[in-house]
Amino acid sequence: MRAILFCLLASPALADIPEAVQDHILPGYAAFARASDSLAAVGKTCDVRALQADFHLTYDAWMAVQHLHLGPGEDAGRALSVLYWPDPKGMGAKAQKALLAGDPAKLAPEAFAQQSVAARGLLALERLIWPADTLPADPCPLIAATTADLARVAHEIDTGWQDYARLLTTAAEPGNTAFLTRAEARQALFTQLATGLESLSDQRIGRPLGSFDAPHPDRAEARASGRSARNILLALQALRAFTATLTPDAPLTLAAFDKAIGQAQALADSDPVLDGIATPGGRLKLEILGQTVTAIRDLVLAEVAPEMDVGIGFNSADGD
Amino acid sequence: MRPSRRLFLSSLAALAVARPSWADAGSPAWLAAAKEGEDYRLHGLSETGESLFALPLPARGHAAAAHPTRPLAVAFARRPGTYALVIDCVTGAQTHRLTPPPGRQFNGHGAFASDGRVLYTSEVVAEGSEGRIGIWETEGFTRMGEWISGGIGPHDIKLTKAGLIVANGGIQTDPGDRTKLNIDTMAPNLTLLSKGGSILDQVSLPDLPQASIRHLVLTETGVAFAMQWEGDPAEVVPLLGHWVPGSAPVLFAAPEGEAHRMQGYAGSIARARDGRLAISSPKGGAVQVFAPDGTFLATHARADVCGLSALGAGFVTSDGNGGICALDQQVTPLAHHEAAWDNHMVALIL
Repeated sequence: MRAILFCLLASPALADIPEAVQDHILPGYAAFARASDSLAAVGKTCDVRALQADFHLTYDAWMAVQHLHLGPGEDAGRALSVLYWPDPKGMGAKAQKALLAGDPAKLAPEAFAQQSVAARGLLALERLIWPADTLPADPCPLIAATTADLARVAHEIDTGWQDYARLLTTAAEPGNTAFLTRAEARQALFTQLATGLESLSDQRIGRPLGSFDAPHPDRAEARASGRSARNILLALQALRAFTATLTPDAPLTLAAFDKAIGQAQALADSDPVLDGIATPGGRLKLEILGQTVTAIRDLVLAEVAPEMDVGIGFNSADGD
Repeated sequence: MRPSRRLFLSSLAALAVARPSWADAGSPAWLAAAKEGEDYRLHGLSETGESLFALPLPARGHAAAAHPTRPLAVAFARRPGTYALVIDCVTGAQTHRLTPPPGRQFNGHGAFASDGRVLYTSEVVAEGSEGRIGIWETEGFTRMGEWISGGIGPHDIKLTKAGLIVANGGIQTDPGDRTKLNIDTMAPNLTLLSKGGSILDQVSLPDLPQASIRHLVLTETGVAFAMQWEGDPAEVVPLLGHWVPGSAPVLFAAPEGEAHRMQGYAGSIARARDGRLAISSPKGGAVQVFAPDGTFLATHARADVCGLSALGAGFVTSDGNGGICALDQQVTPLAHHEAAWDNHMVALIL
């Protein structure tokens, strides 16, 4: 495996796939799995302050890979069970209420793994360690179950990626039915970049932004833990790092990322849960950031796509 | 001199030759449109995914309709469509060009009557997107008339013994482009039209008005339908259903952890010999397979997959990366082309 990767790395035109896999994807999932182990260990103690600290570290680690929607994270709803957001109908909170008051047998690992993805993962934990109201029962057993389940899923994704990485790096080789050509593997990675930017703009920025007449700071992600703006910043940093592994030559795109990261940093410092967007001045800051992200996406199509010799999927770009 | 028996027989043979069949076009299993470089072509594909013929199209196609006996394909332009081309798949010649009446647009799909004598086309009134079904005879491809489709924005249509089933997608689009104008008020439906064009039955999905019903495949008792969700992408809704005219439609949902992989979008639908149903999502790079009773069976990953049809005991897919793959318990590549396969594979052999 290493020998194959080394040979591929020796040829700069083919550097994109192995670099993205070795330098970005695999270390990202490994770090997430490590963070989730630590969180699960604290979960057993139910020390809320320590849980909050490890919650942030684990969420940070997830933000480094959350834009990747291919491979083992997509199977069995794993990625969704790590982070179920947005949840406009509050399904997670409802399901959790039932678990808090219900049969403790449902918290056993095998049973808990079968619970709704909305009732599991980071935001489920957030509701337990930054509760909005007094919880109806002792949350400690559910906290332990939630953190243990998160660690299990993190390791399943990490382990699964060892095999999936080989599919990406051996595209077009005999027996590889997942990627028939190297272009398909490059396309798959590029798609993660393009859709990652789209989802950042539509979801993390777009949902709270709402319309000028009806801004919705309440719809921002992870408000209880104060991470709304931080997650926008981390998503941008992760996508920038991913881009740098995909192509060594995208100066305009990387410069646009840097600009957006500066704006997101300022936002994270001044308006961490985006309450400010209810005022015209505060709203303008998030709007400008949204425009910068849109500009990055245009640059990615104009600069990164031709470098990688790929484009937006023919059918997925414009359906009917 | 009296014509000899031999001459008589050879004249018969000549007559038969004058009326070519799909065998003369290589007996393709499917028709599929593709983009190759900057060119668009309509291919006839064999069951192993090889291209048997490739005929030029003037612009991006959407679906095609195949004449049941004569080797004629009608290639429909993408919405808003101003033309449909009748192509002789033996010679490659365009034999007719269908133009909708003034103020009308083709909407991507059409269907031949089982005897091949009539072609039905899915159409909209450009202004307002009210649906029409165009009716054409198939000797000279002149328009004989039209019916109302029973809704806004009809897309796929399928002929059954009971009549014509129309997927009225419900979406009103700008006459000049594909901008959607009525997402907040859209009301898709399934309509069964009689052979005279009157509405025999019509159903909608009151709980899912923003699920555009777009593609159809016939089942033993009715029609299965595939949908595209136009509502909040955070809501995960069923994308597949089954309708037996005379009863209420039934929705088939994938389980929670799988459903999101389709990203609210089903681009094609197909039915296997044993009744299993498959829907494809290019947006999610996935195909989902359901049992005939609606039980979810599996999700298969394939990037930019959209074209879908039956093959052997299972299915076949085409995708924007040029792949043609068999799909049963797993995805097995059959062929790879330097082409981006467009939305649909149209089966010729039923």
